[in-house]
Amino acid sequence: MIGVGFREPAGASRLKQRELPMLEKLERFIAGFPADFADIRYEVEKETTIVFSGKDLKEVTASTTDGYVVRVLKGGGFATATVTRPEDVPRALGMALDGAETMVRAGGKKVRLAPVPVVHDTVKLDLKGDPRGKPLTEKIALTRSYNSFLGEQQNIATTTLTYSEVYRDKFYVNSEGTAVNEELLTTSISGEAVARKGDLLQNIRVAVGGADGWNRLAGRESLFVERAKIAGSLLDAEPVRGGTWNVILSPNLAGVFTHEAFGHFSEADIIEDNPSLRARMEIGEELGNSSVSIVADSTLPSQLGYYRYDDEGVAVRRVQLMKAGVLVGRLHSRATAAAFDEPVSGHAVAEDHRYEPIVRMGTIFIEPGRKSFEDLLRDLGNGLYLVDGKGGQTAGENFTFGAQYGFLVENGKLGGMIRDINIMRNLFTTLKSIVGVSDAFQLSERGGCGKGQTNIKSSLGGPHVLVTDMVVGGV
Amino acid sequence: MEKLLQAAMESADSAEVFFTESEYSSLSTRNGIVTEVGTTMQSGYALRVLKGGKLGTAYTKNLLDRSDLVKNALSSLEGEVEAGFSFPEPAEVREMQKYSPSVESLGFPDLFDACRELLDFFRNRTEGQVDAGSAFGRSSSRIINSNGLDLSDRSSVFTGSAQVLFPNTESGIYETFSFRERKPFPKESLERQLSLYTRGLPEVDIQTGRMKVMFLPFSMYTLTWRLSAAASGRSFVKGTTPLLGKVGQKVLSENFTWYDDPLDPDSVGGATPFDDEGIPTKRTAIIVNGVFKTIFVNLDCASQLNLAPTGHGYRGGGMWGGNPIVNPPQPGLSAPGFAPGEASFDSMVEGMDRGIILFGVLGAHSGNIINGDFSVGMNPGLYVERGRIVGRVRDGMVAGNAWDVLNRVEAVQNGPYNPFGYFRYPCVLLDGVSVSARG
Repeated sequence: MIGVGFREPAGASRLKQRELPMLEKLERFIAGFPADFADIRYEVEKETTIVFSGKDLKEVTASTTDGYVVRVLKGGGFATATVTRPEDVPRALGMALDGAETMVRAGGKKVRLAPVPVVHDTVKLDLKGDPRGKPLTEKIALTRSYNSFLGEQQNIATTTLTYSEVYRDKFYVNSEGTAVNEELLTTSISGEAVARKGDLLQNIRVAVGGADGWNRLAGRESLFVERAKIAGSLLDAEPVRGGTWNVILSPNLAGVFTHEAFGHFSEADIIEDNPSLRARMEIGEELGNSSVSIVADSTLPSQLGYYRYDDEGVAVRRVQLMKAGVLVGRLHSRATAAAFDEPVSGHAVAEDHRYEPIVRMGTIFIEPGRKSFEDLLRDLGNGLYLVDGKGGQTAGENFTFGAQYGFLVENGKLGGMIRDINIMRNLFTTLKSIVGVSDAFQLSERGGCGKGQTNIKSSLGGPHVLVTDMVVGGV
Repeated sequence: MEKLLQAAMESADSAEVFFTESEYSSLSTRNGIVTEVGTTMQSGYALRVLKGGKLGTAYTKNLLDRSDLVKNALSSLEGEVEAGFSFPEPAEVREMQKYSPSVESLGFPDLFDACRELLDFFRNRTEGQVDAGSAFGRSSSRIINSNGLDLSDRSSVFTGSAQVLFPNTESGIYETFSFRERKPFPKESLERQLSLYTRGLPEVDIQTGRMKVMFLPFSMYTLTWRLSAAASGRSFVKGTTPLLGKVGQKVLSENFTWYDDPLDPDSVGGATPFDDEGIPTKRTAIIVNGVFKTIFVNLDCASQLNLAPTGHGYRGGGMWGGNPIVNPPQPGLSAPGFAPGEASFDSMVEGMDRGIILFGVLGAHSGNIINGDFSVGMNPGLYVERGRIVGRVRDGMVAGNAWDVLNRVEAVQNGPYNPFGYFRYPCVLLDGVSVSARG
């Protein structure tokens, strides 16, 4: 099949003769293409990376990449192709058409796309300080200063700190007439401090950043000092005892929990082709405790997960996923919305120009309740208070996540510090076990969900939550 | 590439250009129905320049303007990143046959046929949902530098995978196959998969405690991530490894030998005659009978540690994977494996009075990796009682420290259970591992 081609459209040859605006170039690529639907996305990605390893500056890179993603729907067959070079776009369209036709011949899934309004729009960045105009030396100096704050604290053996600035200029066109250009910028300064005592090594993560520019990165020295001190304290913390515990999760960890335990299950593509799971996730099912309401909202301005249009040119909207424990909404691409006969939500998102869009949750959180943190401690009595996420993973209804540190709680009071905390449980049993929700609210500043593609705009958070009967694996 | 190198050399003391190009097509089925079809065609250039002992880097996907790429690399010299290394001289590399021209004539119908072969095997033999997928493709890379090094590599791949899901879950027993060209899938592997699935169907609650745990190839990265992090030259440069000052010392069980062998042609995903900096590869013993032998390094770490390059500079992004154009070379393993032991899989199971067969895991990335600690969810874990698999564990976790548990190696399987494309890992049975569960 390598070598399968599609006749170059008339417009394509003209592209070589004069420079056209990108949206117009894309329109010409798919004009007259023999399919029921075709779309094309082009992205330019400009990335600046500065890496400190210990005291040494190890990498400084400022580079640009770009590429195209095409999708073709014909007779219910749906296929994608990604390509780097513009001269290969016609061939990519041909391969996607071949893939779609193979899917039909193989009796594959009949894909339909939910109808959406035709959109013509351009979305420019709205930043509080534009890092793109700042000299490289200023970015290096800021990162170096934070790295020094981390490294100077007691018992810190080494640090790793990375400045990341990712600017994406996305152009999307489909055969229905939609044409959207949106800019996105994601910045972060993130890494870890490693504390050492003898053979014992303990690390703690740190991150500042978001989607609204430079100002958020500056003036954060105290956070880096605080995180390094926590790493040092972990050297004297006790490993957690494995078993079943009642726990309070910090807002960040509650966000990781929400993302891993529930969020992925609310992404329609995860359950679409698993009939038994789909049956358990019917809208209207009472899945959670009545204190739990969950929202996915990438329209929140200035947040890491903010965007206006997804990678199908659909405007993203706030989606109430769970209300008082009842499943009331789901996140969709156009294809899954049609398959579930539910409204589109604007959540088909790709990592970058190398990938087709898949359903992603964006900014997800449990809505705050009315209790204070002290109320939750009192309700907990004896158990664990677990703080800050250290990564999580999900496979269907099972999930795990790690906590960076925590504390024993005895008689409603915080006790000694604990470490080496990972938790596992089953979605359906856990959502009913959230018995308390605090009035606090905090969202993460750096993302990195790895559902096939890495989504650096994955944002999460929420209030403190009290959960019963969590399985904790102690070392 | 030559023109790019030439342009860079107008301003730099020395330079290196890395190019890679790949094309892969894939087809997936869920519950017997084709659900996803796609192709990726990617290429790109990465440039490294050295000037006055400093390192500059840049990359691009479309080489529209050579001077822009060179300018980006020269601009990054402003960062004054110290480079204690120089680009290598040309050297002899092993000829490896990694490419089969037959992939050029494959198409989506061949991928569907491959999926059908897998689905047909399971038809009428299980009520579980079977998801199968297949892919093929080819990739090539080339490295040139200003010292005259010019190396090229080309490979092809054909893969298949099948997973049988436990009822009402997304958890199951799976198998993967990697070849250089289209081949039938080995029936004995599929029979073993079906047998494990069938025996794992009952869901069981078990008591928390210490017991024997057998790591299977798909869960082995729980341990090897921690070993790799410790044996990497980067950790030695930073001083954050439990192996500091322990070259030549016994650190693990004498039953345990760990190596990297990129010259093994059977490692479909990992075989390579040279690394991504142009250093020839060779079989490297990292831990032999429990004794730590080799720190694996890229050029940068080799210079900082005053070691000879070992041919382990890879652009793959380390344990997280990533774009080889974007990621600079870091110390990494290409085709790691464990030396096989003497026990059969069945005899290892029969020797377990009470224990877990850890088929797959969740959360291997979220423990304290640098310290060797792990705490992972079973996904799934099969429970063994009196030498017999009695079911799969509900909500179970396995935890420990890699440097501790690998000192209690009870048995190593007498051959790799599954090459998994890259790895050559036999099953490893460990004693006294902490298991948490709801029971």
